[in-house]
Amino acid sequence: APMVNYIFFESASGFALFERTESEDIGKFTEEVQNSVLEMKRFGKIMRLASFLPFTSAENALTCQNEISEGILPECAVNFLSTSLPKVKEGKRAKFVVGVSEPKIGNAISETLSIPCECNDLTLELFRGIRLHFHNFIDGLKSTDLEKAQLGLAHAYSRSHVKFDVNRADKHII
Amino acid sequence: KDGGKGGGSKVVVEPHRHQGMFIAKGKEDALCTLNLVPGESVYGEKRISVDGEEGNKIEYRVWNPFRSKIAAAVLGGIDTCEFKPGAKVLYLGAASGTTVSHVSDLVGETGQVFAVEFSHRPGRELVNMCKKRTNVVPIVEDARHPQRYRMLVGMVDCVFADVAQPDQARIVALNSHQFLKNGGYFMISIKANCIDSTVEPAAVFAKEIKKLQAENFKPSEQITLEPYERDHAVVVGTYRPTKKAKKDK
Repeated sequence: APMVNYIFFESASGFALFERTESEDIGKFTEEVQNSVLEMKRFGKIMRLASFLPFTSAENALTCQNEISEGILPECAVNFLSTSLPKVKEGKRAKFVVGVSEPKIGNAISETLSIPCECNDLTLELFRGIRLHFHNFIDGLKSTDLEKAQLGLAHAYSRSHVKFDVNRADKHII
Repeated sequence: KDGGKGGGSKVVVEPHRHQGMFIAKGKEDALCTLNLVPGESVYGEKRISVDGEEGNKIEYRVWNPFRSKIAAAVLGGIDTCEFKPGAKVLYLGAASGTTVSHVSDLVGETGQVFAVEFSHRPGRELVNMCKKRTNVVPIVEDARHPQRYRMLVGMVDCVFADVAQPDQARIVALNSHQFLKNGGYFMISIKANCIDSTVEPAAVFAKEIKKLQAENFKPSEQITLEPYERDHAVVVGTYRPTKKAKKDK
């Protein structure tokens, strides 16, 4: 499997790019990574925040949530990734791989930015670790801030679904 | 208005052995939760108000086991129930939020419930219920595709599932792999004839447990929900049990 050096993480507060600082032998990752993600002390040595793009407004967040939920890469995320990741010379292959949480977003990144992406068992573990410790990586972001952002965004997203998505069938009947 | 079971000082409310739950001792005993939003019923359930130690009023909401699988499991004597104060819970199959509201009472202001429901009619009721309960995050989305709501959910301590779908075990696994902490708690309600109506319920339950074990769930307990539900089982246990968690027990 190719080495994953970056992780593109989507949160209710904004988009984040993480960099792997310690690249251990990939062959023994499962047990190793699983254990190391549990404590921030250890996880903070494996991953470092490279860049963070906070959402500028509730509308901005909702647009991104709508697009991300359908596997579309938001425009602000394209700009964010192209400025935050190392430059790739034209005609050359990128020397790094970005871990993504879902293959569709990986395809979108590969197509628009010509950057190889990966979504596998290793990235799943890294995502679990980031989700667990996310607020510790972002300066000035308290866990309660993140919870508020999740709550506000979930309300906006769910409201828009029950209001406008009338064609989707209610089939969940026992 | 006071609930009918209230009637003032006759009712004594005692803590249940599960944290955050209570038993109101009156004419008939009733399972209750401490109302997070005093003065309000969510779905017409009775409320019981008792005098607190400092002369204040404490209000409980009666939790009907015929309307809630978790209440049925608790009254059925389930040993471990981790929906307690401060816990973060991912709740799959939230419907209109009746049981969700009790889980919201249980986890309290410091906890959080991510409530997922795909059908729009109950989803609308769920969203409305959440307006007054800010520890519930309403998610109207398909639990089969947890990646669609990955921006809305953090890591959780517990997963509860009552989705009544043939591929329920897969749905629970997909969600847990993304959101449930190592050593986290799960409770799954299994309705036998939703999964396979051609074989005995006991065989269906056994098969579902096998599927869960293959996905790194360690079931610790299984009970049926008689007399509250027919051919239903509730299975609880630990996801990815950690060595440390094992030692603690």
